[in-house]
Amino acid sequence: MTREQLTDELVDLISAEIAVVDLDIDADTDLLLTGAVDSLGVIRIVDWIEDRLDIDIDPADVVLENFISVAAMVGYLGGRAAVVAS
Amino acid sequence: MTARPHLLHQLVEAHATSADALAVTDGDESLDAGTLQHRLAQMAALLQELGVRPGDRVGIQLHCSVRAMVAVHGVLHAGGVVVPLDPDAPPAYVADLVRRCAVDTVVTQLPAARLTPLTEAGVRNLVAAGPIDGVRTLTWDDLERLDPIAPAHRTGDDPAYVIWTSGSTGRPKGIVHTHRSGLRCAELTVDTYGLDPDDRLACSAPLHFDQSIFQLYAAPGAGAASVMLPAPVLRFPASVTARLADLGVTAWYSVPSLLVQLARRGALDERDLSAMRWVLFGGEVFPAGQLAELMRLVPSARFSNVYGPAEVNQCTFHHLDVPPAGDALVPIGRAWADTELRVVDTDGYDVRDGAGELWVRSATAMAGYWDDEAATEAAFRTVDGPGGLTQRWYATGDLVELDERGALVFLGRRDHQVKIRGHRIELESVESALAELPGVAEAAVVPERLDDGDRLSGLVVAEVPVDPADLVARLRTLLPPYAVPHRIRVVAHLPRTSTAKIDRSAAAALLADLDDDALMETP
Repeated sequence: MTREQLTDELVDLISAEIAVVDLDIDADTDLLLTGAVDSLGVIRIVDWIEDRLDIDIDPADVVLENFISVAAMVGYLGGRAAVVAS
Repeated sequence: MTARPHLLHQLVEAHATSADALAVTDGDESLDAGTLQHRLAQMAALLQELGVRPGDRVGIQLHCSVRAMVAVHGVLHAGGVVVPLDPDAPPAYVADLVRRCAVDTVVTQLPAARLTPLTEAGVRNLVAAGPIDGVRTLTWDDLERLDPIAPAHRTGDDPAYVIWTSGSTGRPKGIVHTHRSGLRCAELTVDTYGLDPDDRLACSAPLHFDQSIFQLYAAPGAGAASVMLPAPVLRFPASVTARLADLGVTAWYSVPSLLVQLARRGALDERDLSAMRWVLFGGEVFPAGQLAELMRLVPSARFSNVYGPAEVNQCTFHHLDVPPAGDALVPIGRAWADTELRVVDTDGYDVRDGAGELWVRSATAMAGYWDDEAATEAAFRTVDGPGGLTQRWYATGDLVELDERGALVFLGRRDHQVKIRGHRIELESVESALAELPGVAEAAVVPERLDDGDRLSGLVVAEVPVDPADLVARLRTLLPPYAVPHRIRVVAHLPRTSTAKIDRSAAAALLADLDDDALMETP
C-alpha cells in the first residue's frame, strides 16, 4: 500500500462515515478543531486502521498529535502499511 | 478583612488575595489569581462598553478554556446572567435558546460563518475572534486597552446562570440558578471533598453541563487551580491521562463513560497519576465491574459517586473505600449538608421500605425554569410547614430505595428520560423532532448499550420512502450531537403496548436485530 492509497482511503472513510459536520476534508484538515471527528469517531478510525492494516495500535499512541489530521495518521503509521496489498 | 463571598465571582476575588496563586491553566496558558481577577474585570468593562447591564443574559459559546474562565466571571462581575451555549450544537438549536433568553450579547471564538444564525436570532453584540459584518464586535485584543471596572451590585437571589436541558415536550427547559444556589454548591463541594489551595481540579464537562461548576466555581472557592482540558484533547483518552499526569491534577470529575475510556484506552499503566486524590463521577450509572477496574488502576485516589439533577445541583454523595463487588449497584449515597431528602410514593406519602420517588429540598436548588411558570410549578411540590410557611421540594422523577446500610440506590426513572454520556435526554423530545421531519409519520427512540457507551437509536414509520442516513443528517442540524440517534430503522408500524403506548422494549429488540452500525431500511 502506498502513502497515497492510505491517505485516500482514510479521507474517504472519514468523509463518508465518521465526520459529524458537513466539511470538505483533505489530508491536512484539522479534524479536531473543526469538530469533524468526535470521540466515538476516533475509536472508529482506530478500529478501521487495525482492521485494514491488520496491526495492533498501542493505546498510548492514540493521542491528539497522531490523529489531528489524516496526514498525521499516515505519518504516525509510518511503514506499517507497506505489506498490505493494495 | 474581606467579607465572605455571597456572589459567584467573589470566589475569584477572594482567591486573588493570594495574587500569585495559580488560578487557571490549560497547559499552554496559565493565569495567576491576581491576573485572572484583573482580566475578568477588564472583560466586564468590555461587556459594559457593548451595553450589557445588570440582569442581561450574555451567551458564552466557548469550550472549556482559560478564556472561558475569564468570560464566565467577567459576565457575572458585570452583573450579567451567564447563558452557556454549546459550541458543538447545531446553529438552529443554539439560535432557539438565544431567542428564548433574549440574549443580546455573545462571547465566542467561533468563525464568522457559524455566527450568522445568532445574529439572525437577535444577537446585536459579539466578543469574537475578529470583526463580523452588521454586528457590533469587540475582539479579545480589546480587553488589553480597557481599565477594569468595579463589580455591579447584585444580591445572592439574582440569577447567575441558565443551564438548558431537554424537555419532554420537545422544547428545552432553562434551569435558572442564582448566585446563592451556585455558590452554595461550590462551597459544599469544597467541604464534602476537603479541597484546599494545594489542589488542582479538572473536569471534562463543557460549560453547558452543570459538572463544570467544579472548575468554574469550586476551584476558586477552594483557593485551588482549575485545569482546563481543551476539547480536542478530551477526544483522546491517552492525551487526557498525559495532561492529568503532567499538570499534577489532584481531583477529577467526569461522567463514567469517559472514565471507562480512560481505563480502557488511557495507557494508565504508563502514566504517573500519584497526585490524584479524588475521582468524582456522576451523571449516569457507573457499571460496578468497570469502576472496580479503574479503582485498581488509580490506587492513590478516593472515588466518590455524585448525584443530583441539574435543577438542584449536587445533592448526595457516596465515597467508595473499596472497589464494588460483583455487579452491585453503586449507591448514590446520602444527602450532603444543607439538604433534605424524602422518598415518597405517587401520592406524596413517605415510603419506609422499598422504592419511591426522590424529593429534594436544598439551598442548592434552582430558582425555576426560565420563562416557563408551568414547568416550574410542575417540578416543585409545595408542602405546608409550621407557622403557615411552606416548603418547596423538587420532585426528581428518579426512583430510589435505601439499601441495608442506609445509602440511597438509584433504580431508574418514572418517565422516559435517559442519560447519554451524562447528558439528560427526554426520549419524547427526540421522537417529536424525528416525527416533524418531512416524510416521517411517527417515531420511537430508545437508548442502546454499545461497547463504548450508550447511544440513541430510532424507529420511524415513513409516509413516503425516506433514507435513514438523510434523517440522521437532518437531525444533526436540529439537536445537539448526543441527542442524535446513531442509527435509524424504517418499519411499517411502531410496536405498541396494549394501552397503545410505544413499547420501548420491543422497539429496542427490533433495533438489536440490526447487527452492525449500518443504517437500515425495511427489506
